[in-house]
Amino acid sequence: MRWLRGGYIALVYLMLYVPIVVLVVFSFNASKNPYRWGGASLYWYERLWHSDALLAAAGNSLLLATTAATVSTAIGTLTAIALHRYRFRGKRLLNGMLFVVMVSPDIVLAISLLALFILVGVKLGYLSLLLAHVTFCLPFVVVTVYSRLTSFNPQIIEAARDLGATELRMVRTVLLPIIFPAVMAGWLLGFTLSLDDVVVSTFVTGPTFEILPLRIYSMVRLGVKPEVNALATVLVLLSLIALVGSQLVLGKGRGERR
Amino acid sequence: MKLRTPFRTAVLALIWGWMIVFVFLPNLLVIATSFLTRDDVHFIRLEGSLASYARLLDPVYAGVFTHSLYMALVTTGLCLLIGYPFAYIVSRLPQRHKPLLIFLVILPFWTNSLVRTYAMKLLLSANGLINQFLLGVGVIDAPLRMLYTEGAVIAGLVYVLLPFMILPLYAIFEQLRVDLLDASADLGAGRWRTFRYVVLPLTMPGVIAGCLLVLIPAVGMFYVADVLGGAKNLLVGNVIKSQFLDARDWPFGAAASIGLTVAMGLLLYAYYWSVRLARHRGEHGALA
Amino acid sequence: MKQLRSVLVIVLWVVANAALGVEEKTLYVYNWSEYLPEAVLEQFEQETGIKVVYSTFDSNEAMYAKLRLVDEKNSYDIAVPSTYYVSKMRRERLLAPIDKSKLTNFKHLDPKLINRPFDEGNQYSVPYLWGSTGIAINTTKVKPDTVTRWADLWDPKFKDRLLLTNDMREVFHLGLRILGYSGNETDPKHIEAAYEKLKTLMPNVRVFNSEAPRMPYLEGETDAGMIWNGEAYQAKQENAAIDYIYPAEGVALWMDNLVIPKNARHVAEAHVFIDFLLRPEIAKTISEEIGYASPNLAAVASLDEATRTNRTVYPSEEDLSNAEFQTDVGEAITVYEKYWELLKAGRE
Repeated sequence: MRWLRGGYIALVYLMLYVPIVVLVVFSFNASKNPYRWGGASLYWYERLWHSDALLAAAGNSLLLATTAATVSTAIGTLTAIALHRYRFRGKRLLNGMLFVVMVSPDIVLAISLLALFILVGVKLGYLSLLLAHVTFCLPFVVVTVYSRLTSFNPQIIEAARDLGATELRMVRTVLLPIIFPAVMAGWLLGFTLSLDDVVVSTFVTGPTFEILPLRIYSMVRLGVKPEVNALATVLVLLSLIALVGSQLVLGKGRGERR
Repeated sequence: MKLRTPFRTAVLALIWGWMIVFVFLPNLLVIATSFLTRDDVHFIRLEGSLASYARLLDPVYAGVFTHSLYMALVTTGLCLLIGYPFAYIVSRLPQRHKPLLIFLVILPFWTNSLVRTYAMKLLLSANGLINQFLLGVGVIDAPLRMLYTEGAVIAGLVYVLLPFMILPLYAIFEQLRVDLLDASADLGAGRWRTFRYVVLPLTMPGVIAGCLLVLIPAVGMFYVADVLGGAKNLLVGNVIKSQFLDARDWPFGAAASIGLTVAMGLLLYAYYWSVRLARHRGEHGALA
Repeated sequence: MKQLRSVLVIVLWVVANAALGVEEKTLYVYNWSEYLPEAVLEQFEQETGIKVVYSTFDSNEAMYAKLRLVDEKNSYDIAVPSTYYVSKMRRERLLAPIDKSKLTNFKHLDPKLINRPFDEGNQYSVPYLWGSTGIAINTTKVKPDTVTRWADLWDPKFKDRLLLTNDMREVFHLGLRILGYSGNETDPKHIEAAYEKLKTLMPNVRVFNSEAPRMPYLEGETDAGMIWNGEAYQAKQENAAIDYIYPAEGVALWMDNLVIPKNARHVAEAHVFIDFLLRPEIAKTISEEIGYASPNLAAVASLDEATRTNRTVYPSEEDLSNAEFQTDVGEAITVYEKYWELLKAGRE
């Protein structure tokens, strides 16, 4: 029975990783034909490195993701705090709207924002992308932070308030440090979602701000090409590094807070 | 906390502002657009019409809708089938192995989904690896036509969305108290009964979360259908995209989008309702 | 110290965000995919110091829709529509006039291809490349003599084996020509008839592709179907079994042209780019690399023998016997669009 279980999860992991491994292996393929092995080579990586357009797109994507994650984390954290601590009219409506954003297929969100931008006259470029990305990252941040808020002792907050701290002071010095791991987790989630997004970006992007996923998309649509393999491998590696890094940072943070 | 501090006011203003401008208003615009007429130059004309919705009922488009929903449901089902036992098994493993195992699930989740879809193409194409392997081993004489089929799209969707199913399920299994299972066994329930009346109801929240996280993107991920699907395996997402970015028929695209949202809402509701029913029955059944 | 660090981070961040607005000599080019060799772009950038931001589209409709979306503060400086879209965009005042006095190489263009009805006097467009849409077959899978007409593609043996370009006018060209109508038909009844005919072809269609139509043939996913001549030419370089066939009912002929959208912000640089592409040596390189015919007479004269006599790139009179040049269909375009969407969405 034990072997069956082990075998099963091994199979699932295999499923998850075979395509990626294939990608990585073939990125070192010297042959131009992506399906036949022609010896090991770093040629495609060199070409990548010299591709200005790709590097620019990558830089843009990083900038966008960082900014979007930060802004959405800020707004999202505040939203979660407000939902948790305050009673106000229309709370259910707000919850409803957050739910709608989270539950809508990306594409519905994309066209609704496109319609808004065209109506208002927002230029399609960095700004439109940023606003769109912040919007779809928000609910995820809210959910992450909110669940952390509901799971600790509220008396600490009351104590701080009783001692005379203003709301702002209390939030800054007491509440935020406690929920910090969740806030960081929310940031990371927002960052990942933004970096990965193809659907929303397709609609609200403009010519002045090229982002990486869309660049990859046009490359992928041209067919199987070794450059794409190399680029994909680089992305996988970056994900790996980012993930390991985040585990270390978060793990450390959590330890200290205790 | 009832005190109206300036902090509270500022925060609420910010949140309400953002939500109204970027969620409420745009969705209202989409609803409005779906009732207007197409204009060649300015996308829409302020002329009311139900033509877009009528077009949705055209058998061709209704066909795309149902086919797309079908593919999304199959994807969700497959993800559930694969992910549920997986999450269960991992959650029962010794604690020291778990962080690594979960890390290995999260890594694909963090990798660009477009890249992963493309990787699928490497495997499935006529001179791709699976065919090369099968041909080389001699199992087949001619390459299998795997790419540009319905199966390819579903495979792509499952591959991209599987981590979204596994993670919530794993979280819920972690919370599942082992002593409940022991208690059930002590009371004489067999493995099947334990599963059906204890494990299943308790893991329902994870199942729902997982299914939502898979089903909803699945209908809109046009790039998967684009790369792997070929001519006849469009998702509703592809139709909507094409209406907005090629055909410039915004009212029809908006109507399709609303149709999609409604369909999702109905499915969600049906699912939620059936789960409550099952839980209700489960509770009563367990007591019987 | 902590404050200073956060201030520094914020300043850096703001600068990064602001730097997005600063642009030295840049040019935003919006072109068909696989339609300009990278080496040519690089040479342009090196010679002129103008940085090119290059985006691609796969159909006139997609290009037009995008230009409409970025209309108000339009940021593409060069676009490459086909002739019938030049007419449309000219009518809708979407194009900026081109100052031919700045184009020293304009004189090299074939007199037969300039000053055409779609843009008299070439006030708004400059020809770039012309070509045809015909049939491609993989001769290892399909016997060459069995496919000589568009109608042959309807053969049930091609079930699930065909590629069609993702191009509304071209696919309808097929349907219309088979029924004996013109590819530039404007009668809605005839267009509908073409739609019905094309519907019966759908079971044979495996994939629609205009990004790089040669790829599915090279990848072995499709054995026959439509293709652009240049793509067929490039395909043959990698796999000699891929042939280009001029169907008996006639290929669709088209020409793509360089235009400057109305709200382009780098008009001067755009003119430099156009003049660069009009240089005979550059036009020659482009034609030889990607296999489409150049309207540049000086370039054609200097082509190597192999390319000049290659019927795929430069067809003979006989090849073009029933060929039809694509022209603007005016209002009827909406009829086409309606049936095109239905055709693509259909699951039969």
